[in-house]
Amino acid sequence: MSAAVEGRPPAPAEPVLVTRGLSKSYRTGHIVQGRRPALVDLDLQLLRGEILGYVGPNGSGKTTTFKLLMGLVRPDRGEARVLGEPLASRAWRVRAGYLPEHPYLYDYLTPAEYLDYAGRLFGLSRDARRRRARELLALVGLERSADVPMRRFSKGMLQRAGLAQALVNDPELVFLDEPMSGLDPVGRRLVRDLVLDLRKAGKTVLFSTHILSDAETLCDRVAVLRGGRLLSVGALGELLRVDVTHLEVLASGIARDTAGLELARRAEPVGDRLRLEVEEGSLARVVAAIEGAGGRVLGVQPVRRTLEDYFFEELGGAPAGAGARGSAAWGEG
Amino acid sequence: MRAGVNRTLAVAANAFRETVRERVLYNLVFFAILMTLAGLLLGQLSVRQDEKILKDIGLAAMDLFGTLIAVFIGTGLVSKEIERRSLYPLLAKPLSRGEFFIGKFAGLAFTLFVNLSVMLLALMLTLVLTQRRPDLGLLGAVYPIFLGLLLTVGFAMLFSSVTSSTLAAVLTVGVVIVGRYADVIRGMREVAPTIPPALVNALFTILPNYANFDFKSQVAYGDPVPAGLLGWSTLYAVGWLGVVLGLGLASFRSRDFQ
Repeated sequence: MSAAVEGRPPAPAEPVLVTRGLSKSYRTGHIVQGRRPALVDLDLQLLRGEILGYVGPNGSGKTTTFKLLMGLVRPDRGEARVLGEPLASRAWRVRAGYLPEHPYLYDYLTPAEYLDYAGRLFGLSRDARRRRARELLALVGLERSADVPMRRFSKGMLQRAGLAQALVNDPELVFLDEPMSGLDPVGRRLVRDLVLDLRKAGKTVLFSTHILSDAETLCDRVAVLRGGRLLSVGALGELLRVDVTHLEVLASGIARDTAGLELARRAEPVGDRLRLEVEEGSLARVVAAIEGAGGRVLGVQPVRRTLEDYFFEELGGAPAGAGARGSAAWGEG
Repeated sequence: MRAGVNRTLAVAANAFRETVRERVLYNLVFFAILMTLAGLLLGQLSVRQDEKILKDIGLAAMDLFGTLIAVFIGTGLVSKEIERRSLYPLLAKPLSRGEFFIGKFAGLAFTLFVNLSVMLLALMLTLVLTQRRPDLGLLGAVYPIFLGLLLTVGFAMLFSSVTSSTLAAVLTVGVVIVGRYADVIRGMREVAPTIPPALVNALFTILPNYANFDFKSQVAYGDPVPAGLLGWSTLYAVGWLGVVLGLGLASFRSRDFQ
């Protein structure tokens, strides 16, 4: 996270996206019809130049939010303004880009052809389209596959082509719905770097993910959704209270029942070593106890609260079927 | 306004490119040419009827294969985009649903135009080779066929904007079949006098009459189609297309893409 903090632009202020009471429910059932709320009274602000992580478990309303903003579904109530324009206006779309979750791009086209098509929809000239396609394909690492039909692409390559089309108009506001989905580690690194480059270039990014480590690495602020409701929004530091929660001490040459180690919150053997969770105030006494018993302190590491801890501790754990504590990601939402 | 036209043309160009890259389209053209060649063989078996049979089979093949393309590609134009979610990134751009819908229609219309032109050229070539003369009068039958195909595409897009592509294909085929026998509905008064005339008239009015686009026999016999009739066919097609595309567009505009 510290890497992300370095080189940040000055504190952002101007909101580029404001939603008030944005709500959407979907019809359920065929004979007996009901309505399932997908998003309830969303009040959200996205500030210029920031990367806002939009996180939450399956069915929390992340993708519904993107669809509402993109005009793919209509809100039941509420309003939104994007780049100073009403949501329904198409004027702001010239200045925005969108990558949907699991994008399907025409498989009979090559990425160069698809980018050309996307560029035409923005009214770019032929020269500008060619230049932009070259730049973007190089940016997402697809320059060698520029003329290969996308039906031959892997899921990761499609995701990268999707990312390129979202940037074809050099947008100032970028909506990315699960951009890491389906990518291998190299692809994920590429997207991560690309998002950080967008921030350096002064762009604003709304970025949904269920991979919490990505949100921690990339985002200035995080908005947390659950069951269609926005639970909290804030800087990661505020949200997670990133102060050191405890210290992890790795020691060797001592037994678990050594006198003084009862000060540790937890002690568990790891091979021939002992890992201890220690409160900051007890560290000196625990280290003294280890050394006094003839043991050796191999390392002391501060442990911060993670976004994942936040979800599990404050929101009552993952939804059914989403996995046990300690998993790095939830299902898609 | 101009930007909107350019976006619509971009969608149309892409829809045309898609249909051209669909192997089914090549097969249909190939089969249409085969049908024309078969007509040529049949013509050699008849006495003095060879030219008529050739035109009959050629025009019928154009109509049939054009209808197959209009129904099966037409129903997939919008519904496939919705099912595969390929329209999501497009509608997030400054492209309206109307521009997308009309662009798709225009793209397939151009495909059908190219398809019919290729078939007409093949038929003309066959006539030149066998009869030593081309017959420009064929245009009097091919132009209304094209209008009828546009209407079929309109119905295909209307149905596919409210239901799945399979059901849309079934409904479109139903409309085309009923439309081709619309005159039979009008004649029901004589066959079944118990049916209220108002119902017969209503049915006849609300169903498209594809007979307005059918001058194949007339042209095969070498009779010219009066310009007034072609003008009426054009007006009829434009009127119906306005209604059908308008309804399809209204449905497409109000739809949620969940």
